[in-house]
Amino acid sequence: EETGDDENYEYGKGDFTEHACRYCGVQNPACVVRCNVPSCRKWFCNSRGNTSGSHIVNHLVRAKHKEVCLHKDSPLGETILECYNCGCRNVFLLGFISAKTESVVVLLCREPCLSVNALKDMNWDLSQWCPLIDDRCFLQWLVKIPSEQEQLRARQISAQQINKVEELWKTNPDATLEDLEKPGVDDEPQPVVLKYEDAYQYQNVFAPLIKLEADYDKMMKESQSKDNVTIRWDIGLNKKRVAYFVFPKEDNELRLVPGDELRLRYSGDAAHPAWQSVGHVIKLTAQEEVALELRASQGVPVDVNHGFSVDFVWKSTSFDRMQGAMKTFAVDETSVSGYIYHHLLGHEVEVQMVRNTLPRRFGAPGLPELNASQVFAVKSVLQKPISLIQGPPGTGKTVTSAAIVYHMAKQGQGQVLVCAPSNVAVDQLAEKISATGLKVVRLCAKSREAVSSPVEHLTLHYQVRHLDTSEKSELHKLQQLKDEQGELSSSDEKKYKALKRATEREISQSADVICCTCVGAGDPRLANFRFRQVLIDESTQATEPECLIPLVLGVKQVVLVGDHCQLGPVIMCKKAARAGLAQSLFERLVLLGVKPIRLQVQYRMHPCLSEFPSNSFYEGTLQNGVTVNERQSSGIDFPWPVPNRPMFFYVQMGQEEISASGTSYLNRTEAANVEKIVTTFLRSGVVPSQIGVITPYEGQRAYIVNYMSRNGALRQQLYKEIEVASVDSFQGREKDYIILSCVRSNEHQGIGFLNDPRRLNVALTRARYGIVILGNPKVLSKQPLWNGLLTHYKEHECLVEGPLNNLKQSMVQFQKPKKIYN
Amino acid sequence: DDEVHVRQKVAEVDPQELADFDRELKALMQDSSEARRARPALNMAIPLNVLEGSTKDHHGRGVDGESGDETLVEEAKGNKEVRVKVLVKRGNKQQTKQMYIPRDCSLVQGTKQKEAAELEE
Ligand SMILES: [Zn+2]
Ligand SMILES: [Zn+2]
Ligand SMILES: [Zn+2]
Repeated sequence: EETGDDENYEYGKGDFTEHACRYCGVQNPACVVRCNVPSCRKWFCNSRGNTSGSHIVNHLVRAKHKEVCLHKDSPLGETILECYNCGCRNVFLLGFISAKTESVVVLLCREPCLSVNALKDMNWDLSQWCPLIDDRCFLQWLVKIPSEQEQLRARQISAQQINKVEELWKTNPDATLEDLEKPGVDDEPQPVVLKYEDAYQYQNVFAPLIKLEADYDKMMKESQSKDNVTIRWDIGLNKKRVAYFVFPKEDNELRLVPGDELRLRYSGDAAHPAWQSVGHVIKLTAQEEVALELRASQGVPVDVNHGFSVDFVWKSTSFDRMQGAMKTFAVDETSVSGYIYHHLLGHEVEVQMVRNTLPRRFGAPGLPELNASQVFAVKSVLQKPISLIQGPPGTGKTVTSAAIVYHMAKQGQGQVLVCAPSNVAVDQLAEKISATGLKVVRLCAKSREAVSSPVEHLTLHYQVRHLDTSEKSELHKLQQLKDEQGELSSSDEKKYKALKRATEREISQSADVICCTCVGAGDPRLANFRFRQVLIDESTQATEPECLIPLVLGVKQVVLVGDHCQLGPVIMCKKAARAGLAQSLFERLVLLGVKPIRLQVQYRMHPCLSEFPSNSFYEGTLQNGVTVNERQSSGIDFPWPVPNRPMFFYVQMGQEEISASGTSYLNRTEAANVEKIVTTFLRSGVVPSQIGVITPYEGQRAYIVNYMSRNGALRQQLYKEIEVASVDSFQGREKDYIILSCVRSNEHQGIGFLNDPRRLNVALTRARYGIVILGNPKVLSKQPLWNGLLTHYKEHECLVEGPLNNLKQSMVQFQKPKKIYN
Repeated sequence: DDEVHVRQKVAEVDPQELADFDRELKALMQDSSEARRARPALNMAIPLNVLEGSTKDHHGRGVDGESGDETLVEEAKGNKEVRVKVLVKRGNKQQTKQMYIPRDCSLVQGTKQKEAAELEE
C-alpha cells in the first residue's frame, strides 16, 4: 500500500556519530577518546569549553574512570593507552619518555616503571617524563583540541550540567543531557528565550513544546470521531471512489484541510460485511461538505448511504520533521552556515556581507515594476546572509519575493528553495516566480496530489506524468495500467516506483527553484538536496521549528518574509502557546535587533481604509499606491454615511448568547443586520464573490450562514456564495467589501478574540473598497486600541446607528480604556 | 568560505568549581600512585632494534612497519613538528606508530639537545 516514503524515513539523522563527545557533541576523530571502562565506553573530547578541565579529563575525574582508548582514525589508531612495560592503563599515571638519541617514545607509568634501573642503562631520558594529562587536559598532540569554530558550534555545557549528568549516568548509563531538562508531566514547560547557548539548548526548549502541541493535536483529532454519517458516493476523474459527507466543525476544534486523512467505517448489516477504508480529503465545499478520496476501491458498499462512522487518522509527520530539523541543526555542522547558526541562536556575530555582483535592474521579467521600497528590499536582501522583509497588507510582498528569488537563481549558486507555511501562499509564490521564466517545481505532499491546485502544471506529480520523452514511455505505460486496473503486480509496482522516483529526481534537479511548504521541505524526496539560498514567505505564521525545516538543508543565505503585526502561528495547546511557541523566528530576530525592511506602499485599500491601520500598526509609514478614484466603486449605490468615505461603525446593542455547542458565541441582532447589509450590497450591484463576512466566533459564523440562507431577501443561492469566515482564514487574502461582526457585547467579560491587536489589524485590512464594522462601542471602547478605532470613526462622522436607509450619527458614550490590556 | 566571527563572552571558570575539580583530580592521582608504589618493577623488554633506530631492520623482528612512509621528512609539517615513533604493544607484539609532536615539547627537546651536543663532540 502506497503511503509515501515518509513511513520508513527517519528524520534528523543528521550526521550524528557514535564517537561524538557526550558532553558537547564534538565529533572530530582526532579530538575524541573513549572511556574504556566496560560499563561506560562513552566518548569525550579534549576541549575545556567553559570548565576547568577538558571534557575527557572531567569525565574521568567525576566518574573515577581511569582508562581510555584512542579513536581508530587517530594517528595511533584504535589503541588502549597503557604502560609499555607493565601494561598499567591508569591514565593518571602514564606519561611519555623518549630514547636519548632516537625519535622513539613509549608510554610508561610513573609507578613503578619509571624507576626501573634497567631503563637508565638503556639510554632513556627519564628526566623528561612527560605526563599524559597536563594542565587538566590530555597532551594536545596526542588528542587534538577542537578548533575554535568546532567549539563554538558545540553544545556549551556547564560544570553543573556535567556534574548532574555524571550523577544520572550512575543509575542510567544511557541517559542523555536532554534527560536533564525534561519537564515532568505536570510541569510547565521551559519558556522560549531570546538567545540560546547552542543548538542543544534550543532543542531542549523547543522539543518539549512541539511534543505538547503534537500530543494535543493528536488527542483532539482522534476524539473527533463521528457516527451516523450519511454518504453520497461519486467517482473521481482518476476513477477513484469519492465519498461526500458533512463533517460539522466546532470552535477551536478540528479544522479539516485538504490532504487530511480520514477513516470511513461501516459496521455491516445483513447484506453487507463490515468495511473500512482510509482516504484523503481532496476538497471542502462551502456547505461544509467533505470530499474524501478513498485509497481502496474494492468492496466499497456504494449501495449504502447511512450509518457510516468517520475517524481522523492522525499523522505525526509534520511534528517529526520539526524535531528532525532541530536535531540536524544541532548535530550536523553542514546543516546551516556558521554565520547563520550563530545568528539564529542570538550570538553576537560580526556583520557579514554576501559578495555577489548586483544586477543592474532589480525588477524581473514577467513581474510588475517595483516601487522604491521594493527595489530597496531586493537590493539589501541580495547582499546579506540573513534578512527580514516586513510586508504590511497589500504591499506586494509576493512580487518582491519573486523578484528576489529571480535574482538569486541567476547568481548560479544552485537551486533556490522557496517555502511558506501554507499551501495557498506557496502556490501564489510558485505562480509569480514561474512568470519570471524560471523553471519551477512545486513539490506537494503525496496526500495532496489529488487536491486541485491553481499551479498544477508546476507540480512535481503533474510534471512526472507529463514529461513526454521516449525514455519515460515505460513509466507512462505502467502509470496507465495502474490507472486502469487500480493496482499493479508486485514486480510491476516495484518497477513503477523506481522509474517514478528516478523521474522525480531528474525533474527536481533540473529546476531553478523548488517551492513547497515549510513542512514539505522535510520530504524524503528532498533528502539529498542542498539549498544555499532559501526564502520563506509568511514566515511570521510559522513556528520556529517549522521554519527550521527548510533551513537545515545547507542554507547560507536566508530571507524571511512576513509581517509580525499580523497574525502569528496557530498554536492549539495553551501550555505550549504560553511558553512562547507562538512566537515566530522572524519576531525573535526582530527582538534580537535585526531590522526588518518594510515595504511601504499599499495597493489594496481605499486610502481612507488604510489610515487607521497605518497609524496604529505601522507608525504611520504606510503610503497609498492607489488613489481615491481607483477605489471609487462606480454604479454601486450604498448608503455610506459620509460619501467618499466607504466605511462605518454600525452601533449594535443586541446581547450575545452562548451557541448551541456551548463553546462559542453568537449575537442574533448583529447577524440580522449583517444580512441587511449584505442584501443592500447585492441590490446595489455588488456580486457575492466581492463580499466577505468576518466574524471571530464559529457560533456566529454558523448562525449568519444559516440566517442568511433562510431569511435573506434575495435568491438563496446568492447568499450561499458569500464567504463567511474567521479572521484567521482571511489572512493573506482580500475582498472588495468586508463586513466585520464583532459579536461580544458583554459588559463584564473581555472581548475575546478581537483583543489581539494583530487580529484586529488583519480584520481591518482585508477590504479594497469598503468596510462595515458591527459591534457594541460600550464594550469595545474599554480596550485602548478599539477605543482609538471608535474615536477615529467618530471623528470622521462614521459612527452610526439606526436603520440602514436612515443612518444617524451615534452619541453613544465610550468607556475609559484600561491602561493595560492583554 | 564559512568563516564566522562570533563575539564570544569570555568563558569564566568558576574558581570554586576549579578548586573542587583540582582537589578531586589530586586525590585520584595520589590514590593511583600509592596503590602501585609497593609493586616491584617488572623487567623492561624494549626491542633493541628500535633503539638502534636503523631504518634497515625496522621492518624486521616483530616490529612491523605501520609507521608509514619513511620518505616523509621531519620538515613536512613546517618544521614546527617532529616525527617520532611511538612504541606500542599489541598483545605480545611490538609495533611502532608514527606521530608528530611539537618541536618545543620537552620530550623532544631533551633528545635534540643531546643530539646537538653529540654532534659537537
Ligand atoms: Zn567512563
Ligand atoms: Zn566535548
Ligand atoms: Zn608500568
